[in-house]
Amino acid sequence: MRRVSIIQGENHVSGEPEVVISTLLGSCVSVCLQDPQARIGGMNHFLLGEPGKDHQVDRQGMQRYGVHAMELLINELMRKGANRSRLRAQLYGGANIIAGLGSIGSGNAAFARRFMETESIPIGHCDLGGTQARRVEFVPYEGKARSRLLTEPPKIVRAPVVLPTGGGDLDLF
Amino acid sequence: MPAASTIKVMVVDDQTSMRAMIRRTLQDLGFKDIRDKAGPVDALGAIRSDRVHLIISDYNMPDMDGLQFLEEVRKDPVIGKTVFIMLTGSADREIVQKAAALGVNNYVVKPFSSAVLKEKIERVFGELS
Repeated sequence: MRRVSIIQGENHVSGEPEVVISTLLGSCVSVCLQDPQARIGGMNHFLLGEPGKDHQVDRQGMQRYGVHAMELLINELMRKGANRSRLRAQLYGGANIIAGLGSIGSGNAAFARRFMETESIPIGHCDLGGTQARRVEFVPYEGKARSRLLTEPPKIVRAPVVLPTGGGDLDLF
Repeated sequence: MPAASTIKVMVVDDQTSMRAMIRRTLQDLGFKDIRDKAGPVDALGAIRSDRVHLIISDYNMPDMDGLQFLEEVRKDPVIGKTVFIMLTGSADREIVQKAAALGVNNYVVKPFSSAVLKEKIERVFGELS
């Protein structure tokens, strides 16, 4: 099997039978989506659900939010041939592992559930909440995921900010 | 200086959560008349029967993409001059250039902040009050 590891802010989509996508989660959430007919699936990894009403967020900051992570994942699945109406979800993470940080993990888990409900994407297996970190592995071709609780919290690794090609906005307007 | 509250907007995005987020952002900017549709076909029907001043549309949608939608709008003799701002998942030069050739007024790369959306709208309408 070929392992593809993703970190916060990233996603990966594949229809190859030998690919396993994996990630380490604390309070972050990963959503695994698969189209069982097209046998294409993908996983993302996001830090927070969506920005609050009075929360000023710049473009780079927005990339950490689930509402955009979901958009990117769904678009990439569709681009590779998945049908949006056939997608099935599995949800992982959202632990409250750091004392003093409140219930960020629970908020993320609630966002993920709410998003699937709003978008009418059926939810299959879930392993959300608790106080321990998780390792998640997903075989997108099979649509099978599994999670394992870890005794040590994961190191927080942020994806490098990748600016769009052309250095941001194209200067047409 | 046009008042945002007087500008009628149609938001088109296949993702319900994204439509809700754009709606909230527009409301924070002072827009009051905001309609939304999940796809261009429904949106075309709605804006042909009740015109809007501004269309904010996603590019990546299942049945008709944002470029096809823009083309449909521009060739319509009644709604053809409606301001059209496209939302794209990435600053794909080819898509943006095609959109420019079809007469898009501006575009916004997702993810975007409310400040960026405001700036892009103001580049077309002038400073909003």
